[in-house]
Amino acid sequence: MLIKINPLTLQKIHRFKSIKRGYYSFIIFVLLMAVSIFTECLVNKRALIVHYEGRTYFPIYGDMIPGRAFDLEYDYETNYRDLAKRFKAEDSGDWILMPLIPFDAYENDLKDGFYPPFPPSIKEKHYLGTDTIGRDILARLVYGFRIAIFFSLILLMVNYFIGVSIGSAMGYLGGKFDLFFQRIIEIWSNVPFLYVIIIVSSIVVPNFLTLVLIMAIFGWMGMTWTMRTVTYKEKAREYIIAARVMGASTPRIIFKHIIPNTIAIIVTFAPFSISNGIVALTALDYLGFGLPPPTPSWGELLSQGWSNMDAWWIAGSVVVAMIVTLTIVTFIGEAVREAFDPKMHTTYE
Amino acid sequence: MKGFHLFSFNTLYLIIAVAFLIVPVDSMTLAEEIPKDIKWLSNTHDPVFASPDAKKGGTLHSAVMSFPLTFRVVGPDSNSSFRSAILSNQLGLIGIHPNTENIIPELATHWAFAKDKKTMYFRLNKKARWSDGKPVTADDFAYTLEFMRSKHIVAPWYNDYYTNEIEKVVVYDDYTLAVVATKAQPDLHLRIGLNPTPRHFYGELDNEFVNKYNWKIVPNTGPYQISDFQKGKLVKFKRKKEWWATNLYYFKNRFNVDKVIYTVVRDYNIQWEYFKKGKIDIFDITLPKYWHAKTKMLSVENGYINKIWFFNDTQRSGQGMWLNQDKEIFKDKNVRYAFAHAMNINKVIKNVLRNDYYRLEHGFVGYSRYSNNNIKARRFDLEQVDLYMKESGWKRGSGGIWEKDEKRFSVNVSYHFDEHTPRLVVLKEEAKKAGIKLKLQKLDQSSAYKKVIEKKHDVAWMGWSTSLRPQYWEHFHSVNAHKPQTNNITNTDDPEMDRLVDAYRNSLDEDERIGLSLKIQEKIHETGAFVPTFMVPYVREAYWRYWKLPDIPGTKMSGGLFDPFGSATGGLFWFDKDEYDKTKAAMKKKEKFAPVTIIDETYKMKSL
Repeated sequence: MLIKINPLTLQKIHRFKSIKRGYYSFIIFVLLMAVSIFTECLVNKRALIVHYEGRTYFPIYGDMIPGRAFDLEYDYETNYRDLAKRFKAEDSGDWILMPLIPFDAYENDLKDGFYPPFPPSIKEKHYLGTDTIGRDILARLVYGFRIAIFFSLILLMVNYFIGVSIGSAMGYLGGKFDLFFQRIIEIWSNVPFLYVIIIVSSIVVPNFLTLVLIMAIFGWMGMTWTMRTVTYKEKAREYIIAARVMGASTPRIIFKHIIPNTIAIIVTFAPFSISNGIVALTALDYLGFGLPPPTPSWGELLSQGWSNMDAWWIAGSVVVAMIVTLTIVTFIGEAVREAFDPKMHTTYE
Repeated sequence: MKGFHLFSFNTLYLIIAVAFLIVPVDSMTLAEEIPKDIKWLSNTHDPVFASPDAKKGGTLHSAVMSFPLTFRVVGPDSNSSFRSAILSNQLGLIGIHPNTENIIPELATHWAFAKDKKTMYFRLNKKARWSDGKPVTADDFAYTLEFMRSKHIVAPWYNDYYTNEIEKVVVYDDYTLAVVATKAQPDLHLRIGLNPTPRHFYGELDNEFVNKYNWKIVPNTGPYQISDFQKGKLVKFKRKKEWWATNLYYFKNRFNVDKVIYTVVRDYNIQWEYFKKGKIDIFDITLPKYWHAKTKMLSVENGYINKIWFFNDTQRSGQGMWLNQDKEIFKDKNVRYAFAHAMNINKVIKNVLRNDYYRLEHGFVGYSRYSNNNIKARRFDLEQVDLYMKESGWKRGSGGIWEKDEKRFSVNVSYHFDEHTPRLVVLKEEAKKAGIKLKLQKLDQSSAYKKVIEKKHDVAWMGWSTSLRPQYWEHFHSVNAHKPQTNNITNTDDPEMDRLVDAYRNSLDEDERIGLSLKIQEKIHETGAFVPTFMVPYVREAYWRYWKLPDIPGTKMSGGLFDPFGSATGGLFWFDKDEYDKTKAAMKKKEKFAPVTIIDETYKMKSL
């Protein structure tokens, strides 16, 4: 958004920073997101660097390197964990650097004679154990986090774009347009959206984008009411009238003048929408109607945990992860709300 | 574990389940003469399979996932799993001995075959009674045909079957009748042993049938009848005080419990908790997770709950991956073979299924002489994959996946059962090594069914129900290829196959049919459009120790050891009151019994 930071906003940001709980939560959250973009370098079955017979390989980004490249007897992807063991045993100067968690979210680490779920083990490098198919839970948690968080961010943007545009238009244009959309939204809000999603996704297997789309179709209404009211209020203010007098077009007034001035409201709602998005995706995955298997997902872990209560580490990990994430997001939300509270910064003259 | 059993219609309910039927009323007035030269047969000399030690009494508590939508067994919403509990309490004219496969008497005492190979004669048991005390007469079978052909029951499939398969029922007197099929066929008795339908109960059918009979308890001829039910909660069955067939040769010492109560428990995990508390008496623990892991608990170690692993020897469901040959990629036989060699089924069996399942070698295992035991399924073999793919001009692409002219070897696998995801996930990872990308497509049951039956799948992961004899025509004849709503889901279209299947269908000679059956199975293997996966040639159950089973706990055909009703294999177990008291006392005092795990291999298949 192209807004110049005016003193008022600075004041708000300052206030936000002073609410320590929310501020640190925000830092942690941003950090988590930033790190999650580079998850491949932290959690991966591919090695970070392989040094073999004088050549150096960086397998993480790029095509798969077949076993033959390292004189192994197969054409499929190299098993770097085994390769690391071999290098160690041979001690010939070749070396390999594995990521912190040397598993990806899809591979099954199975053993003969023992059956997953395996409990957490530092020796096996399954720090949170494995799920019922022998996949590393930490790897699935981390990749699942990335999917969930970006899912709700994108969902948020789509929802807010539609909701804010329509809401402001309703407020600004008023009249029949307003009446018409009010009725549309009332009707649309009464469609039980979870059921619709379940029905749709049982017919077509949704992917990331279609799921965002389906959820956005039923999620955009939330913002409209607030935006409509706020726009009604702003519309009557002198600066809008001044803009109109100067001949600004309707879209220009809405997007350049009204929305920047209502940004505080939008921002206060955002963190809560993010946590809603995470919960919705997890719920759908839990019920088996979300992203198709074997996509790493918290909901799927949760349902595994439920049917394998004795493997406490499955349900335990995902429940803790959810509590932490949702708490952080909620803390941010509360702090933002407090910092942006208009009662603190009355601007009426 | 049971795969996808929606397709069962043609086979299961018709052939194994001795079905219902009837004839137009006018046949009663025609009173034809029964031919003199027929030979009346009966069978009271095959070995019995119930235990003489069985005691009567007790209540069996069982759980169901959902309350049935109706008690009707035909018409809308009637095809629920609960239906079998009602149907099992309806005897047919004749049954099949579960160990010898010979015909045994049920409502009929004697039967005879006509020379035309399409008519059978039956003499009814004069003692046979409906649950309301009325005698079962030949007219009740004539009424079955009338009933099943009626438009009012809203069951097109039955309408069709009882019109196109059964020509008529001829009533000679109250206790003698003939059933005539529309065409001569082998194994006529499997098709023609009708169930009676009580005319005195239904009378004239009308438009109101579907609503009127939703919750009506229809008179039956079997050992139990519904005595009480609370919608959404439970259904109680009670054993009839004086069941007419109690002392029949094959029914003696069976159907021992007084009451059977089905309680609705809507979650499988909760059902397990109920079982652990003893609120449910029996739990099926065939799934490896239950047999190995979940039963590691005190009640089992203390001997309060026993475990049994019982091998049976019956027709195996054709479970596996069905490749759609109408899809461009699977038109090439080499690609189909390569696909089969890329499926690491043995790894799944070893590492996911705890070596408990067995590799299914082909689609028709367990049909005794009709099965070709020389066929072995294609094993996981990367070299073979290489060979076949290269022969067809494919090359490994950048991701290690086979490519040819802009095509990638990437296919959707459609399935619907959550429990199967772990197996597919392992197959997917292994197939990657072979350069094949599997995309898992989990759909809900009805969409999966729709997708497959409309032939829109690449690969369907599913199994078929079985019948007593292999059915090839519906799955492999070109008549059923390239069009929706038929069971030829591989779209097999091969003139040689058609010739064999037609010959098999038209032959009335058993040896010739067996010969053809073996050849057809070879031909299916050669086509390579079906990748067989697993079979589970046994049942495993956990039960509280006061439930008792015969020395040989089941029969060759037993699909469960604690089925309370089924006329073929059900009702062999009994409740031991003394042991019940002892167990309860011991549990109070925290005393232990020796843990019991029975493994019964009496009927284990020789090939295992």
